[in-house]
Amino acid sequence: MQEEFNEIFLKYHDIISLGVYGTAIGLILIGLYAVLMKKNLVKIVIGLTIIDAGIHLLFIGIGYINGGTAPIFSPGYEDAAKRMVDPIPQALVLTAIVIGFAVTAVALSLVIRLYKHHHTAKIDQIKSLKW
Amino acid sequence: MVITPIHYIVVPLIAAFAIPLLSKIHKELFRIVPGIVMFYNIIISFVLMKEVNEVGYISEIIAGWEAPWGINLMITPFSGFLASLISVLGFLIWLYQYRFKKVIDVDEIKSYGILQMMMITGAIGIIITGDIFNLFVFMEIVAITAVSLTSFYRGRDGAEAGFKYLLIGGFASALILLAILILYTQVGTLNMAEIAEKMHTIPLGIKSTILILFIVGFGIEAEMFPLNGWAPDAYSQAPGPTSAAFAGIVVKAGIYGLIRVIYTLFDIEGAFDFLIIAGLVTMIIAEFSAVKQKNLKRMLAYSSIGQMGLVLIAFGIGTKTAVFAALFLMFNHAIIKSLLFMTGSILMYNSKDKTISSIHGIAKNLPFVSIMFAIGAFAIVGLPPFSGFWSKLYVLTAAADKEMIMLIIAILGVSIVEIVYYFRVVNKLYFATDIEHLDIFKPSNNSLIAMGILTITIIVIGFYPDLITGYLHNAADILLDRSSYIDFVLKANVPIQ
Amino acid sequence: MNIFFLIILIFFSGAILSFIINRIAPKFSGITTFVTIAVVSFLFFTQVEINSITQFSLGGIQMQFGVNNYTYIFAILVLGLSLLASLFSIKYMQDNDRLGYFYSNFILSIAGMVGIIFSRDFISFFIFWEIMTWSSYLIVIYDGARSSRSGLKYMIFSAIGAYAMLTAIVSIKGSYGTFIISEAIENGAFNFTDHIYIPIMLLVGFAVKAALMPLHVWAPNAYSKSPMSFTAIFSGAMSKMGILGMGLVLASVYSHSTDENAFNVLILRQILGWLGGITAVMATIYALIQTDAKKLLAYSSVAQLGYIIVGLSTGTKLGVMAALFLAIIHAVFKGALFMVAGAVERQVGTTDMTKISGLIRKMPFTFFTALVSIIALAGIPPLGGFVGKWMLYEALITESNNYFLVIVIFFSSTAAFMYSYRFLFGLFLGQEEKEIEHVKEAPVTMIIPMVILALILIVTGVYPGILFEPIAQGMQYLGYSDVNWDMSVLVNVWGEESNMAYINLTIGVVFVVIFIFLTLKNLKGTRYVGTKDISTSGEIPTENENLTFQLDFFKPFQRAAAPLYKRSMDKIWNDLGNALEAIFDFTRRIYTGNGQTYALFVIIFLVILLIFKNTLFTN
Repeated sequence: MQEEFNEIFLKYHDIISLGVYGTAIGLILIGLYAVLMKKNLVKIVIGLTIIDAGIHLLFIGIGYINGGTAPIFSPGYEDAAKRMVDPIPQALVLTAIVIGFAVTAVALSLVIRLYKHHHTAKIDQIKSLKW
Repeated sequence: MVITPIHYIVVPLIAAFAIPLLSKIHKELFRIVPGIVMFYNIIISFVLMKEVNEVGYISEIIAGWEAPWGINLMITPFSGFLASLISVLGFLIWLYQYRFKKVIDVDEIKSYGILQMMMITGAIGIIITGDIFNLFVFMEIVAITAVSLTSFYRGRDGAEAGFKYLLIGGFASALILLAILILYTQVGTLNMAEIAEKMHTIPLGIKSTILILFIVGFGIEAEMFPLNGWAPDAYSQAPGPTSAAFAGIVVKAGIYGLIRVIYTLFDIEGAFDFLIIAGLVTMIIAEFSAVKQKNLKRMLAYSSIGQMGLVLIAFGIGTKTAVFAALFLMFNHAIIKSLLFMTGSILMYNSKDKTISSIHGIAKNLPFVSIMFAIGAFAIVGLPPFSGFWSKLYVLTAAADKEMIMLIIAILGVSIVEIVYYFRVVNKLYFATDIEHLDIFKPSNNSLIAMGILTITIIVIGFYPDLITGYLHNAADILLDRSSYIDFVLKANVPIQ
Repeated sequence: MNIFFLIILIFFSGAILSFIINRIAPKFSGITTFVTIAVVSFLFFTQVEINSITQFSLGGIQMQFGVNNYTYIFAILVLGLSLLASLFSIKYMQDNDRLGYFYSNFILSIAGMVGIIFSRDFISFFIFWEIMTWSSYLIVIYDGARSSRSGLKYMIFSAIGAYAMLTAIVSIKGSYGTFIISEAIENGAFNFTDHIYIPIMLLVGFAVKAALMPLHVWAPNAYSKSPMSFTAIFSGAMSKMGILGMGLVLASVYSHSTDENAFNVLILRQILGWLGGITAVMATIYALIQTDAKKLLAYSSVAQLGYIIVGLSTGTKLGVMAALFLAIIHAVFKGALFMVAGAVERQVGTTDMTKISGLIRKMPFTFFTALVSIIALAGIPPLGGFVGKWMLYEALITESNNYFLVIVIFFSSTAAFMYSYRFLFGLFLGQEEKEIEHVKEAPVTMIIPMVILALILIVTGVYPGILFEPIAQGMQYLGYSDVNWDMSVLVNVWGEESNMAYINLTIGVVFVVIFIFLTLKNLKGTRYVGTKDISTSGEIPTENENLTFQLDFFKPFQRAAAPLYKRSMDKIWNDLGNALEAIFDFTRRIYTGNGQTYALFVIIFLVILLIFKNTLFTN
């Protein structure tokens, strides 16, 4: 079963990796669209998180080595270092996710405050600060 | 106990978690503790600067992983200088605000002190870290705290300013993350020294893409045009001390990021010219926009952006004199603009609609604050014998050494615009008497002390700039010496003289 | 301690002291100022050695202090005039509030001027120049909201000038590697072949302070709005700092004149000369229609500075000598006249010439000063103004053959009679109005400086040699050799002697003889006749009838010159300012207030950079 899967996986690896990168870039573009075009504050925040998700995915995709294993050293697998995927992107993505979480939380709290204050969630109607 | 760079980060972090607990013991503690931490930062800076002057570099390795693999904290004369500047300013800002916010209910104060402390910690972290991803993390700490502080006041348009800041700041973090990502695929490391060493292996197309992502990302924090839409709003809505911290601390960190990337990481032609053009456009547009402002803090914000443009120009010229001038400018801008925001927010506190016209003739009621504002205004437009003059002179000298006569004329032309709007305010402060001011809010003694220290610094440096030029020359030398930075971090931890 | 530092230190501590003393005892603030300046003057004239140099370095820049023969002339002028003005100021400013503010800036501006005189390098020169500028700006706006607009105008123009100067200074450093003035001259910074803009920028900077057209528009308002005790210095001494710089630059430019750049130098000479001439004419014409004595004097100052610049622009021995002589004489008589205006303002409450008249009997000493100064101003022998103008004409006619310019100057000089007369007549002569019956002569501390200045005018008029000696030495420093002078004798190009003393003495004797003759003749049977004690065409004027004709004094002339008044330089600058403000207002609309727009800016900027990345960045 396992070997079968690996076989298929290796066969379609290019397609999969293309899919990963494509998805990531697609996510970034979707996020950008939401941030730049949507008027609703919540949608803009969602757009920001989608951009983040896309970049995180890209990160993970880059760290992946064809047919690699989890980057864990354990007794009996001393040669694993040759086959393991790059651990650093994963660590970075973890950090970035946490940061993204904090940013989203702050953003949503601001959206609530703005809605209370202006009674609207349309960004083009909230511009009492200008010029 | 031996003081090492890690104290800059660990002590405020511990304090930030301890403050809520400590405040159970005594209510006053959550206001005092940040002050103690800030003061400890000054001590750290003092000790480290002394050491750096002797040995040249300090590098601290965190958690036993050596340089290219682990995270290292670097104190060079350059980063040490900026870290000290931020520490001192942080303490003064704390001193200024210590009793300033007494009127607001206690619960918010708690978060205020912590947030501000974390913002300063983040800024120092950006400056001293030797790891590019670590830098990103600190940048996010600064961004999140800065957004929270911007929208600190509930009643006002703070949330709006905060949201704009967060939106643009989100782009900044995404772009920097992307840049780090591409950089990592190319060189396989996150250590800045190693990246710098391997930079020449990256193909030009990718290299310039990474650089552009970094420039746009850091440019947002450094208030480069057209990335600075958030800045006027954030400055004008944030509480007074925070505006001062923005001008003195946050922007400095942004500029540092930009400069570290361009000067140390990359060896690319054209980046310097780009800085000059970007700085020039930033400066001209910001100073032009400032003229017609009705809100004093917003005017100061535009002026601050303009000054950052000048700093970018100075870094863009790129000679030793120019870097020295740019550092001097950063120093001056930090102290003068902080003073202006401190005094300006006390003035604004006394106006009903936060406009310049509602503080006409207030100098009679607030003589000290007004004179300090006037001195700040004189200094920022570069009139001798105040400190602002020297930095402007050095920038111009650096430009003249390269025979950039049009640049000189542009800088000075914009200075005239600056004179117009600052002197208008000073004029009105002193000589318009059509408004009766009742219920004057007087600044507390400790804020007067904080502002007084800044004022005296401005005057003393103005009369005797040699007090600081030595440090600045060292810092400029180190920043320009790209290879010794790399060598020190990677090869041997032997101090380089 | 080094004498130069000591003097600067005394000035700064004097400024702080007078500010503090005002808080304790406002009366003594003025006295402190006077004492400070007196101490400095004493130190300066006893301790400072000419041509001694003090080297030091500040902020990594080599600086030099020192006094040479050329700057010594201006030192005499500045210190002498400010000593008298500060004495005058004590009583003049007595009843005003915010004296501490006034006096500390007063001292600072004098410190600025003295510092300029000391400076042998461009950086300290510029520093003191700016100190002088902003402290005088603060005094211009002393009067409050009324003068804040003219104050801002002054500051803007000063800034334009100062920054033009700074551009030149840093360019000198960039191209010739030094900030020291004498080294820069040696290295050829002013040789007018390459880097032509350096001397021109410097001249623009100085021209603003010297109120040269078209940069003069700040002057009339700034001069007339600041307190008169300061305007005496402002117009008398501070404008001469511009002359100091111009003289230095022009002398070096002319002495480097070669065949290669002869044309450039000729153009410069002509442009400056004509600008000076036009300034003189236009300011005179504007002075004619002023009804406020202060404003009249202010315009007159601008006109007189025009003459001085004409003299400097010739670059010839006689021309420069005339310019420097006129500069000193102008400082003396304009200082005196502004003090007169100040005394009148204090005693009567206004200087509007349509409201007051006939002060001669109430304020005789003031009148005496005014009379002597006006004689000097109008260039009537035997006083100094005549000597200076004589030399100027001679220089223009014999040495630079600039006949048209002579005509222009001559026209302006003649027209000056008209406003001089108006000033004298409007304030002091004519019908004694009821309203001024209570007016008394100014206090003695105000009279003394005025009379001293008047006496100086008389003495230097008869013996101009007193002034020629330092001027000749100063000119030798500038590079003019063989400046011949005798106590009252000038040698012109043909080797003939123009004996001023001879001319003056003759006129003086005639004057005295006629004076004695008239006095003796009228001594008997003199009686005082009131102005209403007359009959015109058989009608005896009533008490309320105004017989003074000064209200419509210059109506016909005004009608003739009307087209000239329409297009004022002031209006052009105002339009320019408004256009700029519109641009500024337009610029800030980039910040639309919509967060999404800002985000769009970021993305557009990023995309543009990415598109042009290959042109922007190369290896």
